[in-house]
Amino acid sequence: MIKGKAPAMVQRSALKRRTFLRGIGTAAIGLPFLDAMSPAFAASTAPAAPVRMAFFYVPNGMIMDAWDLNYEGKFQELPRTLKAMEPFKDDMIQIGNLTHNTGRALLDGAGDHGRCSGSYLTGVQVKKSLVDIKSSVSFDQIVAGEIGGKTRFPSLELGMEDARQAGDCDSGYSCAYTNNLAWKSDTQPLPPTLNPRALFERLFGTGQPMTPEQRERQAMTRRSILDFVMDDTHKLESNLGPTDRRKLDEYLSSIREVETQIQAAEKDTRQVDPGMDKPYGIPADFGDHFKLMSDMIAIAFQSDLTRVVTFLMTREGSLRPYHELGIPDGHHPLTHHRNQPELMEKVRRINEYHVQQFAGFVKKMKESKEGDRSLLDNSMIVYGAGLSDGNAHLHEDLPTLMVGRGGNYFKPGRRILARRETPMCNLFLTMMDRMGVNVDHFGDSTGRLNCLDLG
Amino acid sequence: MPQRAGGPSPAGAFFDTGFTTIDSLLAVSLLYGLQGKSDCKVAAIAMSRPNLDVAGFVDMVQRTYHGPAGNFAQLPPIGVPEKGEPGTTSPAFVKPFEEKQADGTPVYKNTVRSLVDTADPGTLFRNYLEAFHDGDAFFVLAGPATNLAALLDMPGVKKLIAAKVQRLVIAGGAFPSGAPDPNFRADVPAVRKVLAEWPTPIVAAGQEVGAALPFPGASIDKEFEEAMPGNPVARAYRAYQAMPYDAPSYALSAALYAARPKAGYFKLSDPGKISVDDSGRAVFTASAEGQHNYLIADASQKDAITQAFVELASAKPEVRRFRGPQQLQQRPQQPQQQQTRQRLQVQPQAAPNEPAVAAPEAAAPNQ
Repeated sequence: MIKGKAPAMVQRSALKRRTFLRGIGTAAIGLPFLDAMSPAFAASTAPAAPVRMAFFYVPNGMIMDAWDLNYEGKFQELPRTLKAMEPFKDDMIQIGNLTHNTGRALLDGAGDHGRCSGSYLTGVQVKKSLVDIKSSVSFDQIVAGEIGGKTRFPSLELGMEDARQAGDCDSGYSCAYTNNLAWKSDTQPLPPTLNPRALFERLFGTGQPMTPEQRERQAMTRRSILDFVMDDTHKLESNLGPTDRRKLDEYLSSIREVETQIQAAEKDTRQVDPGMDKPYGIPADFGDHFKLMSDMIAIAFQSDLTRVVTFLMTREGSLRPYHELGIPDGHHPLTHHRNQPELMEKVRRINEYHVQQFAGFVKKMKESKEGDRSLLDNSMIVYGAGLSDGNAHLHEDLPTLMVGRGGNYFKPGRRILARRETPMCNLFLTMMDRMGVNVDHFGDSTGRLNCLDLG
Repeated sequence: MPQRAGGPSPAGAFFDTGFTTIDSLLAVSLLYGLQGKSDCKVAAIAMSRPNLDVAGFVDMVQRTYHGPAGNFAQLPPIGVPEKGEPGTTSPAFVKPFEEKQADGTPVYKNTVRSLVDTADPGTLFRNYLEAFHDGDAFFVLAGPATNLAALLDMPGVKKLIAAKVQRLVIAGGAFPSGAPDPNFRADVPAVRKVLAEWPTPIVAAGQEVGAALPFPGASIDKEFEEAMPGNPVARAYRAYQAMPYDAPSYALSAALYAARPKAGYFKLSDPGKISVDDSGRAVFTASAEGQHNYLIADASQKDAITQAFVELASAKPEVRRFRGPQQLQQRPQQPQQQQTRQRLQVQPQAAPNEPAVAAPEAAAPNQ
């Protein structure tokens, strides 16, 4: 049955925002924002769609000449790295000059990669240690702690590369610093989910992880998770208008698409040389993996399963080669290019490739409608890095792209420059304001980011 | 005399001024000269009025002395307040930019186009101060105290100053009594706040000290020209007013004492408390518990001081790769960390000088 308000359109009562399609076994699927969730003939009192917030983190800095613009104001031609974002340039703001002073050495010597990711969302200088881990509550978790009760998951932490929580990942900095963005407390990072299957089941299961046998049984019968909620789906559809029915159909199709990709990936895994250290269900191709994970972020936002996501696309110090681009060299070694043109060009191509993947996610968010707006309009998606010049390990002018309008909060379509040395934490304070979490100070903030000229 | 090598690292110099007099600019040269002698390292410079023409010139001077950014060496921005009166702009900060080379290109390039090319003074000072060991920095104030008062209001900064800053040296006032100080009068509440709340000792270099120790203008055509032809500070000095002239040394004296407090250049008053009346007049009240002193010009040291002014301010820039907040100095590690210390895997040909770079030459300020 449908849990929540019965979808009886004749009563002109609104469908509850947190309605789930439930079925037998483990299935429970949240719904996107539907017109039926607003009281009929009462558009003016319709609840505003929630604002979502996500961070997409890329490591090892960038080649800044291909990221930065040499002008302020309305976007004209985008720089090379951002070319894939051309269709969305009216939906984004490039923010320059934000700084994470706490990522700098500040007497702690080498280890900029460990520090910059550890400080990225926490705004503190993490303790240089392999065992005595100490950071601070990250700002996404402050938000999740305040508003997380409104959604099934207070937050989601995703990654694509490495979830080790111990060992030395950079000059005496624990891997806990390089492999997590979100911190629940000073000492408790929230490790990202890397496996699309695990994420899928977490999002759409009932919270009970399936055993390998159960999973295999489901695969054998070739049944989709949608099959299990079919009865609820039919009931709901019969009470929806044509627009909502189309929206629901697109939404369920997107879930099915993800499911199909995962099944394909699992088949792909079985074809991989067993000598490779590759977890079950993770696609070998970076783009395939990214699409799976980011599709599920979009679905999770669409169905209001969560409003807070952090996504560590790859980790600081990543040695990942990009065979997809014909680049066999590790990413981090390449970023120490010593201004050699051929190495710099490879890094530019990796930077471009990352943004191309991200643009696919943005497209999906923009195509998903919520009332008169898009899901993207109601979101604040930050694509950024903890270093600017990866060769010199600079922690100022951090690459930062804010995509979405945060529910008509930001005025996108332009490049803005903060004053030099402006703390990145000032942006976090502004974002917290928008998420309904008002604090006076976070990390090394000195105030709100006043150059944003909020809408 | 300054000691070299083997001692603690040079103290960080933080300079805040209005750049309304030429000696403020000479003080920048002097501090870089002291840096060349490993008596300090210039950490951050801020000005107390939002005048972008002046900020652009000072930024250019700093780039001249500091060398280019990159390869782990940061080039700090100039701190400039957002609010306030920009005040008048001396030709000293404009004329040099008008000079052209033979091919018509400017001799000096101004890269400060707007406020975004500068930093909030408080944020700049805080960020760069965090990079120094405890007791390893000093501040020199030669202008209205607006920026430092704002700095004191930032969360956690008083504690930071208490830990890191040896002393604040203020070029201002007149001691034991004298005329109101224009910089004090410009923001009386701010200077009162700084005098009341600054958590470490304060030493004032009064107007009488600066007046007693004129900077010899003749050195502009001699020592400056010999050390670095085209030194923008020398160009500014010539443009400031008709040559020849000797400039009072308010900021120079304060900076010299701050970096070399035990060199014996100046006598120090008994401790006490400095207060400022509504007209901007400084009043010193002796007190054994007082945290304030003022400098007393010592006639016997005049030649030595003048020589130091000229030698240090005219010195050819020695590019030192200090990293600012990014500097490589490291706190002692736990034995376990040292044993297990590893590095990120970096291809040899692409490896940065990340941990391999030696810390800047260790040297001790003479104190």
